[in-house]
Amino acid sequence: MSLRTPTRRAKASNLDASDVPYRYRYKAFLRPSPNSRRTSSSGYNLACPTSQRDKMKLWIAALLLAFACYLPCGAEDETEARLLVSKNILNQYLVEGKDLTVEYRIFNVGGSSALDVQLKDDSFPERDFEVVQGNLRVSWGRLAPSSNVTHAVILRPLKSGYFNFTSAEVSYLPTEGSTERQLGYSSSPGEGGIVPLKEFDRRFSPHVLDWLVFAIMTLPSLGIPFLLWFGSKTKYDTPKSKKGN
Amino acid sequence: MAATGKVLVVFALCMFSIVANGDMCLGPQVTSQTYTTPEAIVSTETVFIVEFSVACKNGLKNINLYAEFGGKTVPASKIGEPNGNKFQLSLSDEHKKLPSGNYQVRVFDEEGYAWLRKAQRSGENLDNIKPLFTLDLSHSGVWSGPVLQSEFVAAMTAIFVWWSAYTAKSRLQQ
Repeated sequence: MSLRTPTRRAKASNLDASDVPYRYRYKAFLRPSPNSRRTSSSGYNLACPTSQRDKMKLWIAALLLAFACYLPCGAEDETEARLLVSKNILNQYLVEGKDLTVEYRIFNVGGSSALDVQLKDDSFPERDFEVVQGNLRVSWGRLAPSSNVTHAVILRPLKSGYFNFTSAEVSYLPTEGSTERQLGYSSSPGEGGIVPLKEFDRRFSPHVLDWLVFAIMTLPSLGIPFLLWFGSKTKYDTPKSKKGN
Repeated sequence: MAATGKVLVVFALCMFSIVANGDMCLGPQVTSQTYTTPEAIVSTETVFIVEFSVACKNGLKNINLYAEFGGKTVPASKIGEPNGNKFQLSLSDEHKKLPSGNYQVRVFDEEGYAWLRKAQRSGENLDNIKPLFTLDLSHSGVWSGPVLQSEFVAAMTAIFVWWSAYTAKSRLQQ
């Protein structure tokens, strides 16, 4: 089924360890270079559509999938509902203990309404992720042809390290009278590195406390000469400064 | 005469209850919980999630609801038990297009949705159609980091201290 194509593609590239995109490597996080984003787009643009360009690619991929669907099908299939599902992670950085936004988009590219659409995502184990808001199992009564629906879930990663974001499962009745459920899979965002909170804070927090400590530490070397100067100034300098002014 | 009148009234009441029980949710009691994206690092888009449960006075179950937000209509996702009347709405757009403020999501049932579609096709004003209920959302905005970097503030303080010391010194030497 053409719906599975992105899954296969992502899995095939996951087999090769050297193929882990540069942006997810640990060092890439510490020193993110703008070039690394550009080079990593192949196959992983579904993971974090940070730029418009990535988004465009996603849309093109979705369109191509849609056409791939039509090509082998006969005219009779056009009256059936066909769903394309994309799963995206909207985060710029995946950080342990911070919210992670997963967005699912379902497009009905078929000729009739999809009935009893059920979306299920079992790819987030309970010991690794906590659901903040939203549901990983949802359903819709009817999804009209050439319409789309968005679903989002907010999760919180409990552990740091690499996590392979796999696909969600969708099932639906393609026509009004059909009894057999059509099963499909969403695209899979691929592997992503979840950064430990400490590491993230080191890079992004305002370090207010650190600067305060620094200020206190520099205070004696600045403050003692200042006080000495100020003391002598108040003692001797008053008439002179009046003259000067 | 009075008897026939009473019979008619009873009959009308019966009919009313049948019609009303058909697929209209009467006096919906809505409890909702919302989430809006707090920080830009959390999401590249602003996401609103509203989870709400609806209790109808006439005990209607398994209803389909649709939401209208910014001229777009989307079906509400059903969550939880099949007949639990619990729903989730997910709305997302770019950060700029959803600034902080209060938003209103209008929720329609099947009938209202049909009217809405009709109005959309004929290009009428969608505001005239009465929703089943509305959900209020308040979004406090997306925080995208401090306006001034702490390094900048520290550097400015250092320069100020040095400048005041230097001017004091040069005044002494005059």
